[in-house]
Amino acid sequence: MNITVLYGTETGNAEMLAEDVAAHLEGAHEVACTNLSDFAPADFDPGQFYLVICSTYGDGELPASAKPFAEAMEAEMPDLAGVHFAIFGLGDTEYEDTHNFGSRIIAEMLQARGASQIGERVLHDASGGDMADDLAMDWADSVVELAAQQMKEDA
Amino acid sequence: MPASVAIVGTGPSGCYLAQALLKARPDLRVDLIDRLPVPYGLVRYGVAADHQGTKAVTRQFERLFERQGARFIGNLDIGADVTLDDLRGCYDAVVLAAGLSVDRCLQIPGEDLAGVATAGEVIRALNEHPDSKALPPLGRRVVVMGNGNVAIDLVRLLAKSGEELAGTDLGEGPSAWLQSAGVEAIDIIGRSPAAQAKFDPVMVKELHRLAHVRIAVEGAGSTEDAEAQKRLDALAAIDGTTHGDRQLTFRFGLTPLAIEGQDGRVTAARFRDASGVEVTIPCDTVLTAIGFQSCTNLSRDDLLVDALDLDAGVLAAGLYATGWFRRGPRGTIPDNRTDAQVLAARILNDLGETGGKPGLPATEGLVDHAGWKRIDAAELAGARPGRCRRKIADRQTMLEIAQDR
Repeated sequence: MNITVLYGTETGNAEMLAEDVAAHLEGAHEVACTNLSDFAPADFDPGQFYLVICSTYGDGELPASAKPFAEAMEAEMPDLAGVHFAIFGLGDTEYEDTHNFGSRIIAEMLQARGASQIGERVLHDASGGDMADDLAMDWADSVVELAAQQMKEDA
Repeated sequence: MPASVAIVGTGPSGCYLAQALLKARPDLRVDLIDRLPVPYGLVRYGVAADHQGTKAVTRQFERLFERQGARFIGNLDIGADVTLDDLRGCYDAVVLAAGLSVDRCLQIPGEDLAGVATAGEVIRALNEHPDSKALPPLGRRVVVMGNGNVAIDLVRLLAKSGEELAGTDLGEGPSAWLQSAGVEAIDIIGRSPAAQAKFDPVMVKELHRLAHVRIAVEGAGSTEDAEAQKRLDALAAIDGTTHGDRQLTFRFGLTPLAIEGQDGRVTAARFRDASGVEVTIPCDTVLTAIGFQSCTNLSRDDLLVDALDLDAGVLAAGLYATGWFRRGPRGTIPDNRTDAQVLAARILNDLGETGGKPGLPATEGLVDHAGWKRIDAAELAGARPGRCRRKIADRQTMLEIAQDR
């Protein structure tokens, strides 16, 4: 499968995780790993499966590297019908009221333009006991499998 | 031989810089030098014990040593053990990322009274920094002067109950200090109006979750500025919280005049409000959190005055500065990441294809990454129930563990 791992990061944790996920998938798939700050809405391609990894910063806002992408989405209103994505959020329940809003904003933004979300949005809690890597590898394996079925049915 | 870079200071600024340099040029020799036997500076000793999520950035920084080939040189004080000139002789580029860790003073009468301490001293002692002073006596009525994030960290820790500190790395001594005092009231005083306060809104909003506090906000005023409005909204969101008996009161626009005492011990803090009226707040503890200045054996002021291009972080040929050491005590951990990425590009450009200086020779008494990992393992293994780590606070013990092969 052709996979693009997209990440939105502020402190670099989401970037590190995205690189780990890309490395994990690389043997079996064609994988690219791209910062959302370097990705334009027009770059979406229905032939790719998008794994989005996004943190939350400040008062439940998108992390710095996802902000230009969100602005471009709003300005360009692209049609993302036929695009499949899955999303993994990084957050911290110390900030309970806004926990993992960043990944939610991205998911809603993509769905609003017609993209199909594969699987549940999985949330990591930096204040919890799980390592983000442990959660994310299982998540990546399962959504890649789901996407393979879904994209075959759609085709 | 590829070029060599020494980074003085292993807090976020130094680590982010090393990360950016090695990502672009994996062949570089990058040595991260700390005057302590342990790395990560502010993340280990400045970020509050109950914000373990924020400390997760150290997982990135560990990779510098484990995968990216950076070297850790701990227990080496540049400016004392090795001169800056000697260091520059050993490396093609030297970067000062030593932060700012001495508290600024108010410079008002009464600062030497018993019961007056700086927030930085307290935060360092709470984080068990090996050079910290003993925690000051803590009374029931505390005035915190300042309303930046450091002040809010301190208020939050002082207001938390024992069970709210579960999962932290707060040590036995600091835990007992926080719990035994029986703090009843905390007044948080800002010199500026609320709209110009220094805290991040999310830090203030978090106070609403404290289990045992009543919160009042006095005189927050209004603003036309959208950014400032976020601070006022955050204050409005916590104003009127009634979760318990510990009273937190935010007051703004009060200029400190003096700290008053009796028999050498603080009894009140005196201010002047915006209309010129004097306000006296009775208290038995005053903690000042009004910013930081340089404290290392590096003469920062002289270096900055003579800088070739301070905005770009260039102090002299082959000598650079980043993070708070360059900019002063403003900005968050990710702000320093942005800084580091810009400076890394500049350094790589300046280095070009040149290089070849070999770095510092091996010296007795230093701590390498394996030594730090031994300290780290001992701390993690020693964690008591309800805690994620038991920090070793004593430098000699750290060194013994680090060198115990």
